[in-house]
Amino acid sequence: MSKELTLKVNGETYTFTVGDNLGQIPETETLVETLRDRLGLTGTKLSCGEGACGCCAVLMDGKAVASCITLTTECEGREIVTIEGLSDPVTGKLDPLQEAFLSHNAFQCGFCTPGIIIAAKSILNKNPHPTVEEIEEGLSGNFCRCISHYQVIEAVKSIL
Amino acid sequence: MRKFDHINAESYEEASSALRSYKKAEPIAGGTDLIGTLKKQILPDAPEAVVNLKTIKDASYIRDNGNTVSIGAMTKLCDIEDSDFLKTEEKAVWDAARSIASPIIRNEATIGGNICQDVRCWYYRYPHAIGGRLMCARKGGDECYAIKGRNQYHSIMGGMNTGKNACSTECPAGTDIPGYMARIREDDWDGAAEIIMRVNPMPMLTSRVCPHTCQTQCNQCEDGDCINIHAVERALGDYILENADKFYQKPATETGKKVGIVGAGPAGLTAAYYLRKEGHTVTVYEKMEEAGGVLMYGIPEYRLPKHYVRDLVHAIENMGVNFCFNTEVGKDIKIEEIKEANDTVFLDTGAWKQPILGIDGEHLTHFGLNFLVEVKAFMNRQIGKNVLVCGGGNVAMDVALTAVRLGAQKVKLVCLEQRAEMPASAEEIARAEEEGVEIYNGWGLGRVISAEDGSVTGLEAKRCTSVFDEAGHFSPVYDENDKEVFESDCIILATGQRVDLDFLGEKYKEELKSARGLIEIGEHKDTREPGVYAGGDAASGPSVAIKAIRDGGIAARHMSEYMGYPVKPAPARGGFLKHDPERIFVTESMKEKDTPVAERSLENEDSTSLTREEAKLEAGRCMNCGCYSVNASDMSPVLVAFDAEIKTTEHTFGADQFFSNMHSVEILEPGEIVTEITVPKMEGYETGYLKMRLRESIDFAVTSLAYAYKEENGVLADVRLAAGGIAPVPVRFSEAEAFLKGKAKTAENVDQAAEIALKDAQPLKENNYKIQEVKVQFRKAFGV
Repeated sequence: MSKELTLKVNGETYTFTVGDNLGQIPETETLVETLRDRLGLTGTKLSCGEGACGCCAVLMDGKAVASCITLTTECEGREIVTIEGLSDPVTGKLDPLQEAFLSHNAFQCGFCTPGIIIAAKSILNKNPHPTVEEIEEGLSGNFCRCISHYQVIEAVKSIL
Repeated sequence: MRKFDHINAESYEEASSALRSYKKAEPIAGGTDLIGTLKKQILPDAPEAVVNLKTIKDASYIRDNGNTVSIGAMTKLCDIEDSDFLKTEEKAVWDAARSIASPIIRNEATIGGNICQDVRCWYYRYPHAIGGRLMCARKGGDECYAIKGRNQYHSIMGGMNTGKNACSTECPAGTDIPGYMARIREDDWDGAAEIIMRVNPMPMLTSRVCPHTCQTQCNQCEDGDCINIHAVERALGDYILENADKFYQKPATETGKKVGIVGAGPAGLTAAYYLRKEGHTVTVYEKMEEAGGVLMYGIPEYRLPKHYVRDLVHAIENMGVNFCFNTEVGKDIKIEEIKEANDTVFLDTGAWKQPILGIDGEHLTHFGLNFLVEVKAFMNRQIGKNVLVCGGGNVAMDVALTAVRLGAQKVKLVCLEQRAEMPASAEEIARAEEEGVEIYNGWGLGRVISAEDGSVTGLEAKRCTSVFDEAGHFSPVYDENDKEVFESDCIILATGQRVDLDFLGEKYKEELKSARGLIEIGEHKDTREPGVYAGGDAASGPSVAIKAIRDGGIAARHMSEYMGYPVKPAPARGGFLKHDPERIFVTESMKEKDTPVAERSLENEDSTSLTREEAKLEAGRCMNCGCYSVNASDMSPVLVAFDAEIKTTEHTFGADQFFSNMHSVEILEPGEIVTEITVPKMEGYETGYLKMRLRESIDFAVTSLAYAYKEENGVLADVRLAAGGIAPVPVRFSEAEAFLKGKAKTAENVDQAAEIALKDAQPLKENNYKIQEVKVQFRKAFGV
């Protein structure tokens, strides 16, 4: 019998089986593939594929992790939140952090932004009043080629 | 990623047994290194299964034991970073954890995974999808691309032996060629001699006769001349013989065990040397007047002057080995008597018999090996004017050249093989041609043509269209319609030699014989008769001397063990591999001086040995191939500096032992898993971990330094220092620690300690800057 896998993503529960048949999740599948290709949650981006750039960050039990180097089969029972899950599921109202990014133009091309917002959320989950140094350190695993980091730090600071 | 099974383990026991149930399986702790490795397929073997350790219960904890702190292997780095307890009690561990990669990685990565991660090197980790992975030395290939390539982030302390040097692997005896080259570079000729003599007690002979295929595998071949290995070996061999008293010593104690050796060829002499060295009483029975076998009788003087053989035999005799010359086993003494008188027996009777080809007029030909044995007799007679040598191996080349030098007017050589297939070494073929031997490839023997008076006039040869079948077995095919007559008044057959086992007598011959008519031997060179061992051509078929030497060495080890005296293995090569960073770029080798063709003779050696100075220069070109990667675990220098303990499901290792391998997990048995790390608290010490890198996150350490020191009465009472990122393993600076103890913490002392720490450093072309970085970290660590 195939192994069952229950994923909790953005408050929804999804049940899969593990295997190589159509519709099953292979053992080798990474979380970013499952989120984007199976659940259609394309807000999470895939870039470097080795955990260095932070574009694929999602919250796992409240902490940012790299979904590109996480095996989906190892996510059983864990609470996963993607960028799509930050807004209010009923009203669609954005998270204050997202609003702050918008009002501070804390992005240019926007490709890395979901990962940065998730990483910022992770900082705030652990420490609601981080110093600038703590914000910088917390975001040090998120790369941005458009140099949005100056605005990002302003945005995060604005909601403290 | 290639498909794998995935198992969630609930306990370490379950994980261990799951790992053991596959041929290749990997545990996944945090997965941040492993998944990247699998995605890029940097290794040729993919695991069949991945066993998840994160599901193991109670494997993540930080426990205060009073003087030490224990951290469960599955503790995440973010939990170490968030622990105020560790921040005060284990500051260096806390520093190191915070310095690793980025917060996103630390939220999943574990301390157990961190200390088990693989080395960093961009050649090693080159992604398979982009033009194919690089099979570097670390991966089971034979070349380190970093030595001469781009190496700004590589080791500055030297490389590490991967146990797979191409040259050593090619050598039948497995000679540690880079090992003795390194000693020669240091001018430590005794050390070099000790290394080569672990497997070969006669380098002064092998260097002169071996086809030295090791050289064809040398990684320098790609950029120019290969290392002239045999020439260096020859200089070393000459040194050994000049100092025979030092290297062929009588054993300190006698075991009283007796060994009989039949045949004093290279295998027999090798066995005699090693067995006598262990203190056994050794008697060698030799049919001929002198010892050496083919080396004495089958190889011409100009290639191997006999005084070298005699001097070697004399040295072995001085060790106390008894030789019974002119004693033919089977005639003068029975094998049963030898067996009766000894505890073990070694048979090395060689391959001396002429094979019968079955061609018309074969009785009118000469047998090549006999020709070489009796060359002196030939010298007194007039050799034929027009000599025809048949065969394509080194014996045939020796015969042809000897005939030339005996004064034959014309020497032709015919052989079955095409030029590229000839078994003789390219150098021997070139030498023969240089001296006027005409080589005709692709001809098989038809019949010998003789005049009415019985004198030979020529050989009728038939075209050989192929020598080997599709499976590569010897199976010549002839075109009977394509014939040619080679005129000759003297035909010498050098088409192989056979093994003659008649000396064993009926009973033993039947018992010991293999299907091929050789002596059947096992892995230990043991025959079917307990206590009787065999080697050399008699057991392996006609081959090169170095193979016989290997046989003799292996047999000696097992014979000694059989008699109750196991031989202690040679100590493993310690320390980092060093090379000469400038001379490795020299593309031209030092060569032995050849005598001009006109001056060559039968009596004098054709070439002269390199001087020791020249040999040392040539050894300087050896890259000492190994792995020059760096260890990337930030935790490892801290654990090494503080003498932490690493507990696994099977053992408890000291950190220095655990991190002594290039990839720490190589020390583990199959299925063995790290479970806990215990670190002393270092109370009263100033501790920390410094990491130099290019970007303030993600990057691995370019150099790093873990430190702890305690000041008492204005001087340093104790100091601990270990560096990361500068070698394939973390490096403890014990000498620098000892230097600083009892001294004041001044900039001058700290600088001097850094000099001491790095005195053995040997940066590669592009990473000299790392030396300066380590020195700066020394200053930062002590706040001076």
